[in-house]
Amino acid sequence: MATKRKIGVFVCHCGGNISDHVDVEKVVEGVRGEPSVAVARTHMFTCSDSSQQEMIDQIVEEKLDGLVIASCSPKLHMFTFRGMAERAGLNPYQYVHVNLREQCSWAHTGDKIGATEKGINLVRAGVAKCALTVPLSALRIETQPRALVIGAGISGMRAALSLADMGLSVFLIEREASAGGWVSETEMMGPEGMHGPEVIRALLARIDAHERVMLYTEAELIERSGTIGNFDVKIRLRGSEEIPLNVGAIVVTTGFDTYTPVDGEYGWGLDGVVDLKQFRQMLTAGPLVHNGKPVRDVVFVYCVGSRQVKSEACPAPHAYCSRYCCTAATYTAHTLHQVAKQTGQAVNQYHLYRDVRTYGHMEMVYEQARQEGALFLKWKPDTPPVVGQADGRLCVTVKDELGSGDSMEIGSDLVVLVTGMVPRLNGDLNSLLKIPLSKDGFFNEIHIKLRPVETVIDGVFIAGSAQGPKTIAESVASALAAVAKAGKLLKKGYVDLEPLVAKVDTDKCIWCDECLKACPYGAIEKVVCGDKEVAQVLAAMCKGEGACVPVCPYDALDVEGYRDDQITAMIDASIKEAAIA
Amino acid sequence: MAIKVDSTIAAKARKLGSGDLDKCYHCGICTATCPLSEDGVSFPRTVVRNLQLGLKSKLMESSEPWLCYYCGDCSDACPQNAEPAESVMAARRYLTSLYDWTGLSYKMYTSKAWEFGAVLGLGAVVVLLFVLFHGPMPTALTAEGGVRLNSFAPAHIIELFDLAMGGILSMFLLSNLARMVKHVMGDDLKKISPKVYLSKLTELPVQFATQKRWKECEDTHMWKKHLLLVCGYVTMFIMIMGFLRWFQTDTVHPFWHPQRLLGYFATFALLYVTGDMMVGRYKKKRAMHKFSHSTDWLFLIMLFLTALTGILVHIFRVNGFPMSTYVTYVIHMAVLVPMLMIEVPFGKWSHLAYRPLTSYLHKVKQAASAQNVPG
Repeated sequence: MATKRKIGVFVCHCGGNISDHVDVEKVVEGVRGEPSVAVARTHMFTCSDSSQQEMIDQIVEEKLDGLVIASCSPKLHMFTFRGMAERAGLNPYQYVHVNLREQCSWAHTGDKIGATEKGINLVRAGVAKCALTVPLSALRIETQPRALVIGAGISGMRAALSLADMGLSVFLIEREASAGGWVSETEMMGPEGMHGPEVIRALLARIDAHERVMLYTEAELIERSGTIGNFDVKIRLRGSEEIPLNVGAIVVTTGFDTYTPVDGEYGWGLDGVVDLKQFRQMLTAGPLVHNGKPVRDVVFVYCVGSRQVKSEACPAPHAYCSRYCCTAATYTAHTLHQVAKQTGQAVNQYHLYRDVRTYGHMEMVYEQARQEGALFLKWKPDTPPVVGQADGRLCVTVKDELGSGDSMEIGSDLVVLVTGMVPRLNGDLNSLLKIPLSKDGFFNEIHIKLRPVETVIDGVFIAGSAQGPKTIAESVASALAAVAKAGKLLKKGYVDLEPLVAKVDTDKCIWCDECLKACPYGAIEKVVCGDKEVAQVLAAMCKGEGACVPVCPYDALDVEGYRDDQITAMIDASIKEAAIA
Repeated sequence: MAIKVDSTIAAKARKLGSGDLDKCYHCGICTATCPLSEDGVSFPRTVVRNLQLGLKSKLMESSEPWLCYYCGDCSDACPQNAEPAESVMAARRYLTSLYDWTGLSYKMYTSKAWEFGAVLGLGAVVVLLFVLFHGPMPTALTAEGGVRLNSFAPAHIIELFDLAMGGILSMFLLSNLARMVKHVMGDDLKKISPKVYLSKLTELPVQFATQKRWKECEDTHMWKKHLLLVCGYVTMFIMIMGFLRWFQTDTVHPFWHPQRLLGYFATFALLYVTGDMMVGRYKKKRAMHKFSHSTDWLFLIMLFLTALTGILVHIFRVNGFPMSTYVTYVIHMAVLVPMLMIEVPFGKWSHLAYRPLTSYLHKVKQAASAQNVPG
């Protein structure tokens, strides 16, 4: 240590949350003798405004160059005290947070001596780490006011328009020949009966008229590099022409695919067994007729390709609920009722379901279907309905859990399989974007509730049913959430990133690519340094996770804030002597 | 063999009064509310389900509809206003029409033309018979000042008609009952030992006379009224069918004579309860009175009119109005005969036999299954 450090140590009572179980005064005494400690004292609440002001005064007066606060979890107040350090003129990264509440007092209630001893050791470790801190500054990246939206379904179109309305330039790319996705194929959208193609036409007109949205169809992303705020991407148009673009953020709205039953699954392949989409098309063609005969009985089978149970026949089940199908099927019941009324047909409907999940206001769709005479029969996953043929018709055998549970036969002209959503196969897109997939195979967000549209790749957002089954309304809501996140990022003009990232010792590194393989964020690249190849960390992509550090055979990597020498010093400090004799 | 789902049965049930069948979403509050529903005989929800899906075989073998007395608690508790009690009522009508092998029952339940045509036609036949075959119509009175009714319609001849009518009635009713037993018991019919059948036999007269099960309903008010009605009716029935010569006399007995006292009691019971029921159905205050099928009204009106014309005959007779007595007597018979001939085997009144019988069969089944429990 070149110069002696002057560290201030402040131990918090946290009202009594800490001091009831840890003798905070003894903790202060336990570290006061450390050579680098200039100030050590307690506060009733370190987070209070008055305590913060006292600490700031002391930092300035004593010219402290390091700060250790032993209080609650860093999740609660690390940023509070970083800000405080900054206000006192101290580099925020020279402040060390010790968790004396969740990791000490609350964990050891009833053992005050033991807890106090542990507390002293924890604070000593904090002081040892603090003594080895260096001033760091946040990594500031300028963001480009342009966004790329991948997938021009309802989510992508709404996201593109909203981003453009914020004043950002948007490139909207679509793999198919026309924009609109599934909505453009849905003539009647429940529960309001909106006409899908018309909705898409209206959005397309707005996109065409918008000077800041550029729509590319038959376009695919083929290259991506760069970091948050500044991505270089390449688009291939109609299989040949390539367009390089530079964008600040990427919104991925690539949507879903529908489940295709395997042959024989609920009679799939038999004459008269159709999926919901095919059935809805039949409904648009006037009187409901099959093989030239008017349809009298229709059986709907729910949860086809959703909430599957693992079995020999189904080794990789889609275990999730596809969310939209119950509403779509009950809405179809209403449509069928209306068509039958118009054409004077009497059609009996039997809906074989597991649970009717028409959540929220969509419950009214279910209620309407019921009141219009559709019958709902509940089956259990271990006794699914069996679709076969008898007397020249289809015959569905089902055990009705709402009745006696006995097996019963329903003669039927049509059987409609209500199929769910499955992840879309996106080709090379997944490897280009590096967004992790959930166990269901959809793009995975960081946290379903707290960070629902962000991915582990900074600057890349997901929305719509690309991240899991959603209704149209939910897809649009998530698209707008992604717009809010991307817009906030790009409109600010810059982004500050944590400097607590990995760094490479180029003397030790000989490029063996172990770190590259370990990094989940793609933050390592190979560069030539002098006469040899070495690894380089792309600071803007690195999360400081540290997966690269232990795998390096040459000990050439360190994560700032958690350097080897710091960790070693912490261990040494916490075990060097008995805290209380 | 899997049971077949039949959509035509729900349509029939709707015709028979179960108009709100589709509203039911099977929460089961009705069954939870019903004080009569128990393990093994669960209703009304199961009855509603069987009607919805049209499970004819299930319905035909079920005794549940007859174990319900329509207190209406389930309909009051139903969160969907699906009127489960009315669906069970419709199930009773449906079963009555199923057990009736002549098919007349369903026709009369679903067609007003059949219903009223049958009543009026039969009434007209009675009037015609009297016009053609009545005895002398003396205006001279008896020593007590009474009318000589037995000259116009001799009791021993009317008695013969009574017996003939009773025979026809019993034939229809018993054949329908036999069908009911066959369906309700199914394969168990012969499996259960005669001893068990015998041991529960007292259930039949007890339930017939007292409708004891009904007492389990929360509101015993209707049970009491119904009991009064049954007492009145049975009294009158015994006097007419068994002791007509004692009951239909020309002699005017003193007021305290049992013939008169019993007659007054029966008349009062019939008039009071049927009148009260009609007022209830008109006001629709109770759940059980909210829905009235035309057959419900017809039955009540005919019973009321029978009692009313009966007492008028008596009043005219003891006060010495010969012509009024004869005319009223004919009207009385023109109401009474179709009421018995139509309502008992084919209509609402058949419940007098179906209810005690299902109650009995239910006990037999319970006793049989208790015996089969090992250990």
